Amino acid sequence: MPAKTVRSSEAPIIAVIDDDEAVREALSDLLQVLGLACRTFDRAEAFMAEYQPDRFDCLITDVSMPGRSGLELQERLRELGSSMPVIVITADTSAATRARALSGGALACLTKPVKDDVLLRHLESALNRTGGARDDRRGTPSDE
Amino acid sequence: MIDGVRRQMSNFSRRAATNGEEPAFACPLVADLSDLTSESIIVSDVHGVIRYWNPASEALYGWPAMAMIGQHVQTIGSLAHAGTDHFSALLREGRWEGVVHRRGLSGTNVVAAVRQIVRRDSAGDLLDIVEFGRDAGSLSRASYLRMDAELQSSLAASWELDTSAARPLLDAIAEHRRSGIAIDFDQHPDWVDRMLSVTRILAVNDRAVRMFGAHAGYEQMIGKSIDAFWPAESRSLLATLLESVASDRTRLEARKMVLSGSLREPVIKAWHSAEPKPPDTVFVTINGIANDDRTTWELQASEDRYRRLIQYLPTALWQVDSRRAGEAFDQLKAAGVRDIAAHLERNPDLVEHAKDVVRVTDVNRDAVSLFRAGNLADLIKPVRYIFSAAPGLAERVMVAHFEGRRNFIAETRIRAFDGSIVDVLFTVTYPVPPEQLDNTFITMQDISERLNAEQQLRKLQADFSHAGRIATLGELATSIAHEINQPLAAIVTNGETSLRWLARADPNTEKITQLTSRIVSNARRASDIIHRIRGMAAKHEPEKRLIDLNEVVEEALLFIRHDIDSKSIVLSANFGSELPKVMGDRIQLQQVIINLLVNSVQAIVQSGQPTRRIDAQTSIDDEGSVVFSVLDNGPGVPAEDLEHIFDSFFSTKDTGIGIGLAICQSIITAHGGRITGLNRPNGGAHFHFTLPALTVASPEPSSVASSTRA
Repeated sequence: MPAKTVRSSEAPIIAVIDDDEAVREALSDLLQVLGLACRTFDRAEAFMAEYQPDRFDCLITDVSMPGRSGLELQERLRELGSSMPVIVITADTSAATRARALSGGALACLTKPVKDDVLLRHLESALNRTGGARDDRRGTPSDE
Repeated sequence: MIDGVRRQMSNFSRRAATNGEEPAFACPLVADLSDLTSESIIVSDVHGVIRYWNPASEALYGWPAMAMIGQHVQTIGSLAHAGTDHFSALLREGRWEGVVHRRGLSGTNVVAAVRQIVRRDSAGDLLDIVEFGRDAGSLSRASYLRMDAELQSSLAASWELDTSAARPLLDAIAEHRRSGIAIDFDQHPDWVDRMLSVTRILAVNDRAVRMFGAHAGYEQMIGKSIDAFWPAESRSLLATLLESVASDRTRLEARKMVLSGSLREPVIKAWHSAEPKPPDTVFVTINGIANDDRTTWELQASEDRYRRLIQYLPTALWQVDSRRAGEAFDQLKAAGVRDIAAHLERNPDLVEHAKDVVRVTDVNRDAVSLFRAGNLADLIKPVRYIFSAAPGLAERVMVAHFEGRRNFIAETRIRAFDGSIVDVLFTVTYPVPPEQLDNTFITMQDISERLNAEQQLRKLQADFSHAGRIATLGELATSIAHEINQPLAAIVTNGETSLRWLARADPNTEKITQLTSRIVSNARRASDIIHRIRGMAAKHEPEKRLIDLNEVVEEALLFIRHDIDSKSIVLSANFGSELPKVMGDRIQLQQVIINLLVNSVQAIVQSGQPTRRIDAQTSIDDEGSVVFSVLDNGPGVPAEDLEHIFDSFFSTKDTGIGIGLAICQSIITAHGGRITGLNRPNGGAHFHFTLPALTVASPEPSSVASSTRA
């Protein structure tokens, strides 16, 4: 599936991976209203095909997908030395999945359906960590 | 008169019954009493030698006892008695009555009305013959013929008939005769029908009841129209005789008749009764020689045995006289009718008519209880009641009869007399010449228990497969939750995004509209998924419809897709194009597909195989059946287990209870298909099932002459 980029000027770029189109579209729209640019992928392999260090400011990924899972992807990125913050979003509520995500370095492991302000908070912290968060970026789209 | 005959007959039978206990009839024993009677009494032995001759005999014939004892009876016999050979009839029947002509002492002809009785010892050996006689010489020839007929009527099947209601018809016919027109009843079936239907039975003797009443019994015959009982092959003969004796009250008609049955050369006699019987009372007798050499009581015993056999046969049995239908068929055939089914469809009244003219002549006890009837006689009537709960059955029975088939078999229903409906296996056996054509047999077997058992089995299978589905849904709970959670997650996020747009000073209505329609479509998607899960979880009777197997496979994948994804299994689904549709229960087939896929997933995961693959395919095989296959690269099935995998409670899994594949097999078998499991040459298992495609004409359930389900 062709990846889709929604770009606001001067905005950081978030990568979104989910095999479910509806979920991808929903996240993409949410990021848009938050003033964040994003690029969506339907599977880990598609993301890896475009991956370059520092290309994305943050990765939001589903866990269970055809092919490589979100957690395997995270492990792979760590092996590649990526410091890109990863937010894992999953329908799987098991403690094992959560533990594996967090111990693998995920910034957060959120359960679907995700609350927008919770996601926003984690995104802010992710973008701050990469040093990308600026006041003008933060204030404009947020309803906080 | 016949009442008198009936009394005599019962007296005779009483005597016969006690005969064994009485001392042997020594000639002089009762001689003192017999000497005093006014009736001639002659006793002769086995060889016909006269052993006793009483004074009244001396008076009647003129010969003294002294001269006659030790003589052969033929010494005085002319035995010029018309009709049957009375001596053999006497031995056969045990008794004989009639008018005899004897030679008197002076060479005169003595006419005597005699009653002869054969006496036997307890072993059945002939003891002697006792004859009671009285003078009949004073009678006119016509009178003694009538007397002879009356006397012999006790041996014949005798009827006392009331023809008064036929009087207008008889008068009309008489009018024809007067105008010189020859009357041939064969040419006037309508007259015959009318005459017989208005002629009522006043009395019948035991023999008539036995020969013609079937099981109707004396009481059921009295007052009824003779039409219902008279043999079909001699209806116009009876009409002829009735008309003849009704028009001339002095006449005694005697004719040979055609009668299928146990009588050889049957003779029918009819005469008008004398006073004090009401006018228009006619007596009819049928007599003949029994069709084999057995004596009456052997025949009787044989008949009784046969009756008992029939009566206690553990199958409901009807004996039906369908000759009237047979005659109608002959006429139709003569008229060129070939396709009887089409003809009956155009003329439904023929079927209705047949239901009235084809009569039940006998039934057994099981038939009575099957129809919840009070007694046998309730079932002895036209066959109409048999067909009351089975529309179209009578037509099919007639078609089979017309086409000259030997048997007809159908599963059908009857309405018992208490209104309840009973499922029966219904068979008809048609008579084929030289069998007696009035013997069509119908048997019925109550199969409601069998059908109930089948119904229960179906319910059990439905429960069983339902339990299997619930278990599978449990196993797939995570996968299913994921499937529902995806659209819900999208809805939540879409909603929150919309709210953020709405909170702005310049809401992007275009965007909000887009988001709202996404909410709607995702909600619908979630609802669809729940609907499908409910379908899987619900208990339902299997319902076969035309379905596209590819669609069923796609729907099944919904339940397990996430499970496959989460276990990093690569699933490739190949759907054959232009598959013919199949008849099937969507939910049950989904269940089978899910079950096979779950088995593959579990086997692959257990095997620790690094690359995990499942191929699901649909296709058409060489026979045109639709096929679903699942191939995996798991460990396969151990060779020694292959033949047990479809057995109930056989499992190779630690946690399995072993009903999954057993359910799959019962479902596929119920769909007329086959399910097979085998190992792939290069490792892994290959399960597939076939379903008969609808485009292939399914063969008729049975090729038995006329076997069809009602």
